[in-house]
Amino acid sequence: MKKSLSIALPSTLAIAALFIFLPFGSSAEFSFRSYSPEGKLMHSFAPYQWILQQPEFMSHLLLSFKLSLIAVAFTAILVVPSVAWLHLKAQSFRSIIEVVTILPLVIPVVALSIGVQAAFPDWLQSTEYELPLMYVILSLPFTFRILDNGLQAIPLKTISEASRGLGANWPKTIIFVIAPVMRSAVAGAFFLTFALSLGEFTLTSLLHWDTFPTWVTSVSQQNIIGAIALSVFSLTVAFVVLLLVGLFSSQTKKRTEVAE
Amino acid sequence: MKSGTLELIGISRRFGQTIALDNLNLTIGAGELVALLGPSGCGKTTALRIVAGLESSDAGVVKLKDRDVTNLSAHLRNMGMVFQSYSLFPNLSAVENVEFGLKMRKVEKGNRRKQALELLELVGLTTQSKRFPHQLSGGQQQRVALARALAIQPEVLLLDEPLSALDAQVRTNLREEIRRLQLSLGTTTLFVTHDQEEAMAISDRVGVMSNGHLEQIDTPDVLYNNPASTFVANFVGTMNHIPAEQQGDLVSIFGKSIRVKNPNGISGSVSVLVRPESIEVSRAAGSGNAKVITRSFLGASSQIICQTPEGAVIQALMPSNGSGDLHPGEDVALSVMLSEVLVAHV
Repeated sequence: MKKSLSIALPSTLAIAALFIFLPFGSSAEFSFRSYSPEGKLMHSFAPYQWILQQPEFMSHLLLSFKLSLIAVAFTAILVVPSVAWLHLKAQSFRSIIEVVTILPLVIPVVALSIGVQAAFPDWLQSTEYELPLMYVILSLPFTFRILDNGLQAIPLKTISEASRGLGANWPKTIIFVIAPVMRSAVAGAFFLTFALSLGEFTLTSLLHWDTFPTWVTSVSQQNIIGAIALSVFSLTVAFVVLLLVGLFSSQTKKRTEVAE
Repeated sequence: MKSGTLELIGISRRFGQTIALDNLNLTIGAGELVALLGPSGCGKTTALRIVAGLESSDAGVVKLKDRDVTNLSAHLRNMGMVFQSYSLFPNLSAVENVEFGLKMRKVEKGNRRKQALELLELVGLTTQSKRFPHQLSGGQQQRVALARALAIQPEVLLLDEPLSALDAQVRTNLREEIRRLQLSLGTTTLFVTHDQEEAMAISDRVGVMSNGHLEQIDTPDVLYNNPASTFVANFVGTMNHIPAEQQGDLVSIFGKSIRVKNPNGISGSVSVLVRPESIEVSRAAGSGNAKVITRSFLGASSQIICQTPEGAVIQALMPSNGSGDLHPGEDVALSVMLSEVLVAHV
């Protein structure tokens, strides 16, 4: 039993690693390709230099960053307090909300984009700032679950009552008690929202906005190597960000343990 | 210490159709420890939460030192509270937990650290001050919670079943410790529990609650020896229900007439309520009025379970050194060592 497990685990991991790294490695190799005037295949940084020469590269990247950050801000303002409130005051609604939050995964993006957009006022529909709100909705299935799981482990009601009994009003209770205990769950929710927003293509394209992912797609029509180089670039950035978040959270964990 | 009198006047609270509190009146003197004891759902926790300001009342007034605090927010009441479930802030160390209330009161850092460490010393946790809640045992966590509640020098200390999640041994130690601290600090304390032994052991007065109102509130001795109602008599301590016939204000039991405490002018079949230690068991070969079923040795005392020819099972408690020869099957004579008994009508 144990022996078969000890083989199963590494081999599963190996297959998973292959599944991730094979396409990534191939893309990376492809993204460095260029051709000499005689048509000979070479590897160089030329595609990446080409990216930097595109005036639209920076503007699209910055726009996507900006919209993603706004989506994170909305998650912080709308989603985090809502889930906390659900745990504090409306436990009985949790299961209903849980079902509702899964809808963005079930409803086709076409229907979702039109439906949600129709609910927005005209002035919002005419700016790209409608996107962050949509991103918040699209990431709800994930953010809700992360926050919900994080809170399940904490007796939020009791500790917030304890805090108030000790002289903290509601704002102070939120800042000093609720926010810190939710920190890792909140960080996870923020990261997911950010990553999802940064890479969102379907909805953005359907609503005819032009962000980094849609720009990359249009680039691929003219310069496929350049487009792949862009993808490799953004994947690497995403990976580094993930790594940093991972390092950050394990560091805070260590700090807590060392404090003994 | 700035502890004061706590008064609950005519407090009522409903949750939908259920009446949690029905015109509850309770006064706790300065420095007094009063326990509210009752079965679950009797309203004792609701009463405590209303005092804390965590729950609102439908009617009635809560007064602290003659000041009406009924509509005061929980965070302005200056009451320390210890909860049944572990309520320490998981992201703060023990000493930081104790400091929390002082931090909210803007006590300067060095000063509040010093006070917090003093309190941790008081509850015997000096060496664990830097530990986080998950690194502490249940008993230690409740000690920290107690220190945290006391750190704000509360006018009232509220204990909401603080011991029920703990092991028996820890529970006994901690309750003694709570009483010791409460006495030395002179903090007015309201202690909610469903464990009568706990309530009786450390309280100045115990209030027995049922269905949202106080059945009786008095010292543990009076409550035990002189219960005002059959509910209190049954709820506090062990009670025998011995079938007997009442005639006027006398009841005949084991061939002896005893005065009834609450006669009500009723005659007929009643249950006489007698505590096990008020029943005398003596050997009476051939001439007894009951037979021994079992004898359980409990240390200093022994529990004798007897049965009358009519089938009533009666529990007696007597010193072990006089009960050694009471074997199962033995004929015994039972008698009640009381001049007045409480009866329940059947």
